[in-house]
Amino acid sequence: MMPGRIGNLPISAENPLGLSWHDSAWIPLLNPTNIMDYFSERSNPFFDRTCNNEVVKMQRLSMDQLQNMTGLEYILLHVQEPILYVIRKQHRHSPTQATPLADYYIIAGIVYQAPDLASVLNSRLLSAVHHLQCSFEETMSYSRYHPSKGYWWDFKANKPGQSAPKEVSSAPKEEPSTLFQRQRVDMLLAELMRQFPLPVSQTTPNQTNGVTVKTENTDGKAGDKSTDGNVNNITIKQEPVDPSSSDMTNGSLQGHSEIKTEIKQENMKPPPEKKTRL
Amino acid sequence: MEEPILRYEKIDFLGEGQFATVYKAKDVKTDKIVAVKKIKIGSRLEAQDGINRTALREIKLLQELQHINLIGLLDVFGQKSNVSLVFDFMDTDLEIIIKDNTIVLTPANVKAYMIMTLKGLEYLHQNWILHRDLKPNNLLINREGILKIGDFGLAKAFGSPTRINTHQVVTRWYRAPELLFGARQYGTGVDMWAVGCILAELLLRVPFLPGETDLDQLSRIFQVFGTPTEENWPGMKSLTDYVQFKQFPAQQLRHIFSAASDDLIILLESLLSLYPPKRCDCTQALQMTYFSNKPAPTVGTKLPMPSNITKMEAEKPSLKRKLLDNIDGGSLAKRLQF
Repeated sequence: MMPGRIGNLPISAENPLGLSWHDSAWIPLLNPTNIMDYFSERSNPFFDRTCNNEVVKMQRLSMDQLQNMTGLEYILLHVQEPILYVIRKQHRHSPTQATPLADYYIIAGIVYQAPDLASVLNSRLLSAVHHLQCSFEETMSYSRYHPSKGYWWDFKANKPGQSAPKEVSSAPKEEPSTLFQRQRVDMLLAELMRQFPLPVSQTTPNQTNGVTVKTENTDGKAGDKSTDGNVNNITIKQEPVDPSSSDMTNGSLQGHSEIKTEIKQENMKPPPEKKTRL
Repeated sequence: MEEPILRYEKIDFLGEGQFATVYKAKDVKTDKIVAVKKIKIGSRLEAQDGINRTALREIKLLQELQHINLIGLLDVFGQKSNVSLVFDFMDTDLEIIIKDNTIVLTPANVKAYMIMTLKGLEYLHQNWILHRDLKPNNLLINREGILKIGDFGLAKAFGSPTRINTHQVVTRWYRAPELLFGARQYGTGVDMWAVGCILAELLLRVPFLPGETDLDQLSRIFQVFGTPTEENWPGMKSLTDYVQFKQFPAQQLRHIFSAASDDLIILLESLLSLYPPKRCDCTQALQMTYFSNKPAPTVGTKLPMPSNITKMEAEKPSLKRKLLDNIDGGSLAKRLQF
């Protein structure tokens, strides 16, 4: 199903929760009547083209027939014009009974899969544990031991010795701005992007002309995932799969509304900055 | 020959074609519902040659063929100068189902129809017979959901290397490109192409390549599959009716059949290869992953039936009874006059 639509399956197969998709040609035109057509675009990785919707469409029948079919279907669950649409993927058993499988939200024209509770908890727990571990490692690097003196703390900065080499290398990079400054700028950027969402997506540095699949992985794969140059302006992005890359600044905004979270993720685009804070 | 006429009681008039009239009748001996096809004598000129050629083909071939997915010829009888063929009674055909907008053909239904068609055709080809007129209209379906290939009026034995065949076979929309280019020697590929067109029509619910003329038919084919070249179709230019076509680029089938699974697209591509030797045969087609992958084909009884048949079921008997009561008191069924 999916390999048929996208050139690079591995991305979408990895984790759909780290994906976003949009087609900027459609975005200004979106309304409740065409949102399902937008969602059923061939390049949308969230759309399974073997679903009943597509079967009915291909056979040129009325969409009312969906009620009488069984199997996979997509419905428009919620509309909050002009910005938010929620689409549900469900398995229909009978005209009156259907089991929800997943929800997708389209916010400002960008499609995301809504995470399930387990994934949210998992991700939050993982990031909490990760930060805890980081702080332990950091603390460990300040502890000193001598057989005669026993243990003591040495907080003198940048002491050579047991501290990890990567810390040493990252320290100079952090000099240009303080943590507070960075968080402040991130928040301001997020606010700006919330107000002007479109230009952001079009001017993202990783986007090539045509369909772009983005992975915002720390290893900077973004560039080589660009493929499928047949449709203009279509972008598929992937957020980092590795939770360790969600750093402190990210955490500071995660509790906010969904809009902010999404924009925040866009913000994380330049991976080097993130690395420095590990 | 008095007996066979009494054996079949006419129930209903079903339809009239160029060469024959078809009635629904009841076989008194077995209590089975059958279809009686009464061949028209035609004009005096045609009658000189004896029995109509299409009828002769049907009798000759069907007598020797026995398969669940081929229409069964149960009996042949003559009276005066008429010949009548008795067939299995079939409730509907694929064309009616395709055109019925209240029916949704699920992927499982499509698979079921394809399996039955290919199995029937495989048997036919194994017995060295080409059907040469496959189209939805000739794929008959009964209320148990069993599909049977019918209308053997154009069927013919094949395989003789010297035998010249006519290329004026197969309804145009289902006609393979080599026939349109006037090929006189062809094989199972012509039937396979037609099966491909039928599969496409099951998916789209409209004829896939509805050409208005033979040339238009070819250009429609090439607009989808790309204009063939001497490389991907060696010997094309030596066909009798070959004409140069504009170069069309090939389209992606998955864009036309948007809801089709990938294994289905592979089957479709194989059935609709422009170069006849590249087309798969029935056995190869049935081996393809499409038929072993999910979803499983719908079982016969669950296949959709056109709404008018299910409705007729409820209304017809009472109406019929009333009419008969008025005519002859309902005591005697009408005899079919052959």
